Amino acid sequence: MIRKFWILIKYEWINFRADKGLLILTLFTLLAGLYGIYYGTTEIDRQRRNIAALDSITEHNIEEMKAKYPGEADAGDIGYYHSTFAVNHPDTWASLSMGQRDVNPYYIKLRLLNLQSQLYDTENINPLKVLSGNFDLAFVFVYLFPLLIIGLCFNILSVEKEQGTLPLLLSQPLGLPLIVGAKLGFRVMIVLALALLLSIIAMGWGRVVPDVRIGMWLGTVVLYCLFWFGVAFLVAALHKGSAFNAITLLGVWLLLTIVIPALLNVYVAVTQPVPQALELTIRQREVVHGGWDKPKRETMEAFFARYPQWTDTTEIKGRFAWRWYYAFHQLGDMAVEDLAREYQEGLRARHQLVERLNVLSVPVNVQGVFNALAGSDLPSYLDFLQSATRHHDSLREFYYPFLFKQIPFRHADYQNEPRHSFTSSPDLDTAYGGMYKLLVSVLVVYVAGLVLFRLLPAMVK
Amino acid sequence: MSIVLEAKKLRKEYQDKLALKGLDLQIRSGEIFCLLGQNGAGKSTTINLFLGFIKPTSGAAYINGLEVASHTTKVKEYLAYIPENVMLYPNLSGLENLALFSSLAGFSYTQDELVQYLVGAGLPAEAVRRRVGGYSKGMRQKVGIAIAVAKQANVLLLDEPTSGLDPKASNEFSELLLRLSEAGTAIFMATHDIFRSKEVGTRVGIMREGELVDVLAASDLDANELEKLYLNYMHV
Repeated sequence: MIRKFWILIKYEWINFRADKGLLILTLFTLLAGLYGIYYGTTEIDRQRRNIAALDSITEHNIEEMKAKYPGEADAGDIGYYHSTFAVNHPDTWASLSMGQRDVNPYYIKLRLLNLQSQLYDTENINPLKVLSGNFDLAFVFVYLFPLLIIGLCFNILSVEKEQGTLPLLLSQPLGLPLIVGAKLGFRVMIVLALALLLSIIAMGWGRVVPDVRIGMWLGTVVLYCLFWFGVAFLVAALHKGSAFNAITLLGVWLLLTIVIPALLNVYVAVTQPVPQALELTIRQREVVHGGWDKPKRETMEAFFARYPQWTDTTEIKGRFAWRWYYAFHQLGDMAVEDLAREYQEGLRARHQLVERLNVLSVPVNVQGVFNALAGSDLPSYLDFLQSATRHHDSLREFYYPFLFKQIPFRHADYQNEPRHSFTSSPDLDTAYGGMYKLLVSVLVVYVAGLVLFRLLPAMVK
Repeated sequence: MSIVLEAKKLRKEYQDKLALKGLDLQIRSGEIFCLLGQNGAGKSTTINLFLGFIKPTSGAAYINGLEVASHTTKVKEYLAYIPENVMLYPNLSGLENLALFSSLAGFSYTQDELVQYLVGAGLPAEAVRRRVGGYSKGMRQKVGIAIAVAKQANVLLLDEPTSGLDPKASNEFSELLLRLSEAGTAIFMATHDIFRSKEVGTRVGIMREGELVDVLAASDLDANELEKLYLNYMHV
């Protein structure tokens, strides 16, 4: 049995080498995978370079400030003109699966002004980038590898019937399950070799930190490929012609990668409405702008209610004082606190809903696993926003003593200004959950395929 | 001579058609049994039942005493098959096709031995290493014959095997069958060719509408008588 299996594998290899169409398809997928690795690595390297340049931009800005204010300065001026950055460093795995890293900002320029509008100032994205999407390795695996598997397997059994070789083959002492198993096994070897090769190249090129994610990534890739082989086996078990198989498999691909994700998107948007960031920004701007016209005492009392530690500071007189200015900016943030929380919680709830519903689409689930492993998913971005918010809080804590105690800001104080750093971290729980669902999907298609294969008799001729 | 091929009340019924009506047949080693009949008479159904490609509705087919339906893989160690239209892997050469099928049958021939089988079956030596995609039907048929012979089976099932062969090759094939028969191979051949049946057959069966209506010893009558008898059956 084992010997015959390897004989069949050997001749599948000879047949494969002689089939130019299959060779071109495999080569195309290999090139697409290499391009995906190049794209992901280049894009993440670009983000790293940009992030690295932010330090020198900050230092340059400090030098400008020092030149502008050569002696002691009012911290209000510094807080207004001086900017710092909240940065979201990519995880080393991000080049393999960029997830939302190209559509969401990976750094935010922050000043002491109101926070919320600064957080979402950069939310507008380039629609052309969204249209084309990420051509990273995860994209190649999730969307293109199924097409390779379909191309290799749509006629796995039907070709033997259609070219008339099945009767002669089955007149040898071997059964149909062995023939199908060997043909499927050979294709599994080709595809997995390609997938593992690309993964290893990507890990090396991307200089990933070697940890448990290597096994999880490879496991997910193997299970996902096996899922599509299982779908091909299930369709082959119907014992239909090659044309029927090809159309059915492409239909399944279209359904799982395009139609169901689109329907999920609509369903999630309808059932889990989230306030728009724009609405939040406008509301906050109205409060901030309204602050100019409100009596200063009213503004400061509202501010001191939140920050009683500054109540003993000198009363504000005259038309303008920086501490009053920053107070009504902060009141603007406080006015939209609930809306901001609702917005971020809404996005998290949407993500959790997608996590539950992705059982309907294996590609969506697998993309989620890849993004979770690479720390490039939505929760990771929301964690970054929270980290940026905490950084802005720390900026306030740093500047407020200067403002409210009216301490002059000296050049030496710049080095005490808080700096921000955040590195996206993987969500292994989500990844494990996704892998478990994927494993169940794989088992379901193979069991269904085996049942059909046993139930439906093969027509040898 | 032992019975190597046997059908006991072998019946095959499709949804809309009764293809075989309780066939009883025994073929011994060294015997060449030729089955004549029109298209749709049940000849190929009989062969497919012996090959285990289809399950009988009732009754049983046996090869070397093993029931085909329950020993589908095992019985194929004892039989070789040449279909009416031998189809091979077009991307492989004749030599590679033969190597594939003979290795699946459990044989490890050298390249020279494989070439000898192919040339012995009538395939031109220069075509042996060419891709089968460029072969004529007759050339493919010769590779099919080489595959069957190389298997060294004691049962040979032939379904219109000389289809596509020129007269000279057909004649060589007849001589091959006689040699195999002398070596003890039991041969079951479904054919339309009355004269070849008379020429090589030990017995000739006539099948009509799924029923074996007559079985004759080939030596009992000449080709013309056989043809007359056959046509009589067909016009009843």
